[in-house]
Amino acid sequence: MEFAASSRAHLRRTAYLMCGDWERASDFVQEGLIRVYVRWPRLERNGGELAYARKAVVSACLDHARRRSSTERPQEADHTTASGEDVATAVATRQALMSTLADLPPRQRACVVLRYFEDLSVAETAALLGCTEGTVKSQTSRALFSLRSVLSDSPTSEQAEGAVSW
Amino acid sequence: MVNELRELMREASASPPQDRTDLTAVLGRGRRRVRVRRVAIAGGTSLAAGAIALGSLAWTNPAPADLAAAGVPRPAGPTVRLTEATPAVEGQDYRELASHTNDDLDSDNGQYFDGVTDDGLVLFRDGPRSTQLYPRFALLDPATGEKDWLTEARDIGQSQLWAVELSEQRLVLVSPGEPVESGDDLAMALTAHVYDRASDTWDTLRWTGLPATDGPWGARVGPDGRLYVPVLATRGEVPEGGWPMGPDGEADDADAEGDTYDLWSVSLTEQRDVRDEGLRVGAFAFTQDALVWTDSQNGDAGRVHVRDLATGEETSFDPALGERCNLLGFSAAGDRIAMSQYCGTYEGGVRDDRVQVVTTDGDQVMTVQDSGVEGGQLVGGGDYLTMTAYDRATGGTYLYDFEEGRLLRLGDGTSAWNVAAGPAPGDQLLWSTPAGSKVELFGRSGATAHLGEIIR
Repeated sequence: MEFAASSRAHLRRTAYLMCGDWERASDFVQEGLIRVYVRWPRLERNGGELAYARKAVVSACLDHARRRSSTERPQEADHTTASGEDVATAVATRQALMSTLADLPPRQRACVVLRYFEDLSVAETAALLGCTEGTVKSQTSRALFSLRSVLSDSPTSEQAEGAVSW
Repeated sequence: MVNELRELMREASASPPQDRTDLTAVLGRGRRRVRVRRVAIAGGTSLAAGAIALGSLAWTNPAPADLAAAGVPRPAGPTVRLTEATPAVEGQDYRELASHTNDDLDSDNGQYFDGVTDDGLVLFRDGPRSTQLYPRFALLDPATGEKDWLTEARDIGQSQLWAVELSEQRLVLVSPGEPVESGDDLAMALTAHVYDRASDTWDTLRWTGLPATDGPWGARVGPDGRLYVPVLATRGEVPEGGWPMGPDGEADDADAEGDTYDLWSVSLTEQRDVRDEGLRVGAFAFTQDALVWTDSQNGDAGRVHVRDLATGEETSFDPALGERCNLLGFSAAGDRIAMSQYCGTYEGGVRDDRVQVVTTDGDQVMTVQDSGVEGGQLVGGGDYLTMTAYDRATGGTYLYDFEEGRLLRLGDGTSAWNVAAGPAPGDQLLWSTPAGSKVELFGRSGATAHLGEIIR
C-alpha cells in the first residue's frame, strides 16, 4: 500500500505522457499496480518493485496498442471527423507536445518518455521494452525527428536517423 | 533539444487532475480489477488503446488503401474488398429496432447495449460512472422503449463484464475475477454473475477447481448450457531480438507463433462441477451441433477441427490461411466459420487484414481483405457476416450477405467507444456509430448504440 501510494503519482505522469489522458493514465496505473500486487513478495525481496511497476504500466499501455496481437482490439475514432490541423494551430506548446506525442507510433512514444522523462539509459529502455539498444536508438531518433516542430531550438534542417546525441 | 523536451514533458505532466482511484479498492479490499470509468465491452484500458492506435497511424491519405500497389498478396479463394460495398438502406436492408446515444463519453461513462435476450429485450447497462459507482442493469423493450430495472447486482462491483448467455431464463455475465499469481503472467479467477429472470436475483459463481485464466473473453456457453473456458497452456515465443520493424516503423509480429489453451468446462449452477475437457485448442466456438476449434490462435492457426456434438465424430482440415497470417478472431454459426486475421504490414503502412470464411467441411467461401478490417462475426444463423473497418476511407460497420453475395455498409464512421456488443438472437445485430462533438483524441466525444434487424 505504501509503495502504491508513493509511486502512483509519478507512474501516472509517465502513463499520461504515453496515452495523453489523465483518466486513462489512471487506468493504466491501476493495471500496473495490480500486477505489482500480484507479484509483490518476489519483487520486494529483489528490490525491483519500482522497475517492475514502471514496466507493468508501460506494458499495459503497449499491450493494448499492439494492434496485431490482441483479439480484443478496441474501436478507433471516426477519422472522417478528426482534424489535426485544428489542434495544431490552436493549442499551446504543451498541448502541441501532447498532440505530437499522440501522433507517434506507440513504441517511439515509449522510447521518448522512458529516455527523457524517466531518464532511463538506452540499455535500461531496451531491457524494459524487450528490444535491442539499436532499436531504442532508431525509434528515439525517429520520434525526435517528428517532435522537432514543437521544440523551439531544434534544427530546422532535416535530421538524419541516428543524428541524436546519446 | 532533448533538454527542452525533458522540460516540456515535465511541465506537461506537472499538474494532474485529482486521481479518483481508491488505492484500497485497487490493492486490498476486493483484489479485483477496478475500472473507475468507462467500462465498455473492450474496457477502459482498451479504449485508451484505441487512442494510441489512432495516434500510431498516419491518416494522410483519405483514398482507400491500394493493396496491389503496396505489394499485399491475395488470399486463396474468392476475395471481396470493402470498396465493393453499397450503403445499407434502412427499411430495405435492415430495420432499426432501438438506439441510444451517449453525447459525451470523454468526460464520464455512459449507457450501453450489452446484448439482446432470446426474447428480444436489450440488456441495458448504465455506468459505472462518477455519480454512480456501480452499474445498473435493465431489460429494455425495443418496442416500447420501457426499461425494467433489475435488482442491484452487489457482487459485480466495477468489474468489466461480458455477456455470454442472454436467454429467457437467465442472463450470464463473466468478469475477470480476482488476480492470482501464475508465473510471469497476470492470471485471474474467472467469475460469472448469473441473473435468474423468474426470481429477479443475482448469483455469483466462482469455481475453486478451475485453473486461473488470462481473461474472461474466451469463455463461451455451449449448447449443453455449460460454460467452456480456455486456460492458457502455451504462449507463442517472441523471436530473439524482438519483432522486426515493419514499413510503418512499428514492430511487425505477422507470422507469429500461436498460443494454445486447455479447454475446461464448468456448470453455471453448481460451483463444484468443473471438468477438464482433455482438449487443447487455439480459438474455439460452438455451432448448434458442433464444436469447432483451431490448433492455436493469436498467431499461426494450424488446422481447423470440427466435432459433431451428437456423434462425437471429428474431422479436420487446413483452412489455408496466408503464410504470414495471425488468427485474431474466430466465429462459427450454421455451417460456416469466420476467421479474422492480421497478415502483415506493407509499403505505406498498408495492412493485410482479412476476414476469411470457410465451411465446416473446409471449403473456401470468401475472404474480405482490406487494410484495417477485423472483428468478423457470423450472425443470422451464419447467413450473414458482420465486421468493422478502421481505415479512414472505409471505416464503418459492414454486413455481408452470403446468399446474395453482396456487401453492405451500415455506417461510414467507427466509434471510439464500442457501446453496443454482445449476443443477439435471430437476424438481429448490434453496432456503434460516432456521436457528439469533435474531440482531440477520440475524434468524437460520444457514440450511439444501435440494434437492428436484417430484412431478408
